Amino acid sequence: MKPSASQTWPLEAPDWILNGPEWLSDLGYDFYKSFVFDDRYQMYIKGLGNTLLLTLLALLIGVALGVVISLIRVSWDKNHTEMQGPGRFFLGFFNALAKIYLTVIRGTPAVVQLMIMYFVIFASSRNKVMVAALSFGINSGAYVAEIIRGGIMSIDEGQMEAGRSLGFGYVATMRYIILPQAFKAVLPTLANEFIVLLKETAVAGYVGLTDVTYAGNIIGGNCYDYLFPLLMSALIYLILVMFFTFLVGKLERRLRSSER
Amino acid sequence: MKKWIALLLASAMVLSMAGCGSEPQESSQAEESSQAEESSQTEESSQAEESSQAEESSQAEESSQAEESSQADSAEADQGNAGEESSEDAPTASEPGSFTTAVEGKLTMATNAAFPPYEYVEGGEIAGIDAEIAAAIAGKLGLDLLIDDMEFDSITEAVKSGKADLGLAGMTVTPDRQEEVDFTVSYATGVQVVIVTEDSAIASVDDLFAEGASHVIGVQRNTTGDIYTTDDIEDEGLGTIDRYSKGAEAVQALKTGKVDCVVIDNEPAKAFVAEVEGLKILETEYVTEDYAAAMSKDNKALYDAVNAALQELIADGTIQGIIDKYISAE
Amino acid sequence: MSADIIQAINLEKHFDGGDIKALNGVNASVKKGEVVVVIGPSGSGKSTFLRCLNLLEVPTGGKVLFEGVDITDRKADINLHRQKMGMVFQHFNLFPHMTILRNMTLAPMKLLGRSQADAEAKARGLLERVGLADRADAYPSQLSGGQKQRLAIVRALCMDPEVMLFDEPTSALDPEMVGEVLEVMKELAKEGMTMVVVTHEMGFAREMADRVIFMADGKIVEEGTPEDIFTAPRQLRTQDFLAKVL
Repeated sequence: MKPSASQTWPLEAPDWILNGPEWLSDLGYDFYKSFVFDDRYQMYIKGLGNTLLLTLLALLIGVALGVVISLIRVSWDKNHTEMQGPGRFFLGFFNALAKIYLTVIRGTPAVVQLMIMYFVIFASSRNKVMVAALSFGINSGAYVAEIIRGGIMSIDEGQMEAGRSLGFGYVATMRYIILPQAFKAVLPTLANEFIVLLKETAVAGYVGLTDVTYAGNIIGGNCYDYLFPLLMSALIYLILVMFFTFLVGKLERRLRSSER
Repeated sequence: MKKWIALLLASAMVLSMAGCGSEPQESSQAEESSQAEESSQTEESSQAEESSQAEESSQAEESSQAEESSQADSAEADQGNAGEESSEDAPTASEPGSFTTAVEGKLTMATNAAFPPYEYVEGGEIAGIDAEIAAAIAGKLGLDLLIDDMEFDSITEAVKSGKADLGLAGMTVTPDRQEEVDFTVSYATGVQVVIVTEDSAIASVDDLFAEGASHVIGVQRNTTGDIYTTDDIEDEGLGTIDRYSKGAEAVQALKTGKVDCVVIDNEPAKAFVAEVEGLKILETEYVTEDYAAAMSKDNKALYDAVNAALQELIADGTIQGIIDKYISAE
Repeated sequence: MSADIIQAINLEKHFDGGDIKALNGVNASVKKGEVVVVIGPSGSGKSTFLRCLNLLEVPTGGKVLFEGVDITDRKADINLHRQKMGMVFQHFNLFPHMTILRNMTLAPMKLLGRSQADAEAKARGLLERVGLADRADAYPSQLSGGQKQRLAIVRALCMDPEVMLFDEPTSALDPEMVGEVLEVMKELAKEGMTMVVVTHEMGFAREMADRVIFMADGKIVEEGTPEDIFTAPRQLRTQDFLAKVL
């Protein structure tokens, strides 16, 4: 069915919808209007693609950033009393930067950060996906950093001592001994952060990205009725989250069986 | 039906995993024209190398004949400018001013495609009055049209920051907005009306301003309905305003009794009333307002070019033709 | 003959900005091939002393010379020196995320540049000696306490250390597992390994030590052969302590 430029309302839904019992035809009509008519479901598919892509990229950036920030924080906290000279100065400087970063990012809403990022900092860039991924990644990095820091702190002091006593330096001990254990310990929390991030990206519409939420909004605007499109968006998020939660559960069980 | 949905979602997930590309959305018109331009540009450059006078004149003829393929026009106009002054036949609107756009060779329009019939999604593309007007302007300027679909709140920011060349979203000229952006000449008139439930106690617009009135009024956030009612009603203590991010959400609120009436643009209002049972539009209109394109204050050259193009399109009846296509005069 | 492999000169360690003095001027030396056992009441500073020897605890005063080099000097590469000083901890400190074999091959491969084959061959040989050969691919959590400590000892031995430091290696073990660990240590001592052992196992001290050091209140109170210390202690503090533990 080819929609005309000026749609006439109500839409002509297929007969089986209109002739059914009243509750069914109401529901069927809403569904038809917001999903089938004019292939509107494709908006959701597009939105879903963007939501997943954005979340994945942001998580990668967030984890990379989170590891660096958490290492700076932990290294400073544990070592600065014994350090001297320029090393102490640099670490102290980066530690201060990290603290400012954590404070600012965790103290402002993601949507504000996103708009500042897109309209101010990267005013000349048109790569919406990358700017948005960077923005959400930087946002997520702050939370990931604290998660990983917690993970590192939870590792017994003796692990560091054992590594050092074998002759490993601080960095090597972190890399081979502390971080792998810390990661394993915080993996469920990290996975949870992924799920939070997935929902956080719902404001991508502010920089002109069609994510699941924006797709729902547009469809709602176009059919003059938000109820069903919004429920649809909610359902998509719910299914995604349930799916990822299931995966995380599997991962956790596998980790546990591989010891510790 | 549940199975249906589950099935659709599952397949949607698989599909999106497979290929979740995200190119900026271009209108179909733009795509067509971009092809046209590409070919014309390659021709152009090869011609330019040869650079003979005969070539020049033949271009001038071409352009005067083929008003349709305006891409070719501007490419020629540009070249004419670079070499010698362009011939008199060159279209006046695309005065080859040295304007720059957000994306080279493209006119980028920021909009919020949830405001039919001005802008909405049809067959996966952004359609509507504003989209067609923008395409016409782009054509005049020899540019491709690129549409950036975003939250309404972001549009002025996109224009100010230079991410978009113009904001075209059924946007009314208001003093506050004029502080931030420059508006072109008005291309359409919008009418703000009041939607109420059929059994509503509100009989006319005047009831909203009556002494001691206290209504909850639903509006779409940051639209003119919001701006006017805030000034006229909320600031005067005659009621409260509930601001929704979408017009349809405000209507939803009216349907469920959360607000007493909704002040909104006439066109969507007609569609809402047709679509949602038990609603009507008050006969007297709330206010009449002018729609115009929002543009950056920092890009005068482009502003002048767009404004001139728009004026021409109004003068030759193109704009009215587009509006009539979407809005039937009842 | 200047065979002192470790020399501690006037070691001091203050915690919390000087309020608590864990070490208060300790002078001691360990000769190559010697087994030195440090005993003393808890809080005497004996563990702190041991941990200062490989700088896990950085002394606030004094020096530690290892093979004649001042390792407390900031210019010294402590990581290189630590490679030659194996350490065994009270709580084992095995790496729980690695197999037993990997626990043992990690440091030799990364630090000594040994090939995986060489490192594994050595590790398997050592595991054989402590009766854990069949557990090479298990994870530490699958071992008993005694097995864990035996593994910790051979993990340190994989680096071919010059000295082995033992920090109360049997204190966290169930009584029935103490014997198997001491057995490994005794064998090591018989082979001529230089050892510094902080322990409460007086039997081990008596049997295996070349020299016993008794510490109290951050100082060395008395040192001598096991016969001297256990049968004829000269200091009152030593007599008190031995009366309580024997």
